[in-house]
Amino acid sequence: MHETSIVNSIINTLEMEFEEEKLNSMKAIHLKVGVLSNVEPRLLQNAYSAFHLSNPKYENVDLHIESTTLKIQCEICDHITDVQNYRFICENCDRPSKNVIQGEEMLIHKIEFEDQ
Amino acid sequence: MSVEKSTKKARGTAACENTNIELLKANDYVADIIRKQMTTSNTLLINLTSSAGSGKTTLMQKTAERLKDKLNMAVMVGDLETERDADRLKEAGIQASQIVTGGICHLEAQMVHQVLDRFNLDEIDLLFVENVGNLVCPASFDLGEDYRVTLMATTEGDDKPKKYPRMFLTSDMMLISKSDLLPHLPFSSEAVIKDSKEVNHELEVIQISSLTEEGVDEWCEWLLEKVQQKQEAKVL
Repeated sequence: MHETSIVNSIINTLEMEFEEEKLNSMKAIHLKVGVLSNVEPRLLQNAYSAFHLSNPKYENVDLHIESTTLKIQCEICDHITDVQNYRFICENCDRPSKNVIQGEEMLIHKIEFEDQ
Repeated sequence: MSVEKSTKKARGTAACENTNIELLKANDYVADIIRKQMTTSNTLLINLTSSAGSGKTTLMQKTAERLKDKLNMAVMVGDLETERDADRLKEAGIQASQIVTGGICHLEAQMVHQVLDRFNLDEIDLLFVENVGNLVCPASFDLGEDYRVTLMATTEGDDKPKKYPRMFLTSDMMLISKSDLLPHLPFSSEAVIKDSKEVNHELEVIQISSLTEEGVDEWCEWLLEKVQQKQEAKVL
């Protein structure tokens, strides 16, 4: 059910942001989702396919999902650490950090439209 | 609602727009409306999350019993089906309202907003949203809360913070519930605290039992302090 709500949210958000005419020329939606976002790309693709059954309007619009890894940037020493095993600790100075700079995002990153 | 849109045309037949819009923007917009309403009415809003069966409703009963002479508390309860939890709380004399999600695994800001008018918010100091029992999906949805509190029952096993990191990363307080069962379980509070602090070093922790009342004083003091802080911030 989670994925279905997310698909609805994507479409609602796009309908808030763009004119209908523009949405009719939409070719592809590019998402960027972090590993911490609890979004599973494969399940989201399935939910998107299921969405088309009741909303054929967007059936020719592709969905691309890019997953991003988890990174934190230390507030003290500025070092960027790839977080492994959910240890949110700076590998340079060993201090804990909650400053997640990548991996939490759920973004509609890019939209492709037909060239007019 | 400022969205940066690129006007550059991409090669080939398609025109690209770099949007970088938050996917849950529609939810976050409603969450901000709730947050403003709570500021106006001086109500502290707490989003209470956990797995199913970790003791959220029992804790609500115990908390209301303890705080009844000190402040006005109300609870909004989210479940997939039935009004059982709200009925249980009402029987204990607590102002409560049920949100039936009809199969949806989490609460969204819109669902909370829709039932807000069932309460007279001006008279409520502390409002809990008892989320659907699930450590995954509710983590992503801001409900306009001041604090997120996650219950983790000793019966769930001590490996949860690393398995459900987003929930623990976005929480302000972790309550290790059903601590009365500790003598009977292979559960290490130290291990849970260590793992949860690796995920979120700012996470506060209280070990609590609604039955023996271990930790209940500390929990209620924390709540009273947060309610007071919010009300003082409004006066300033």
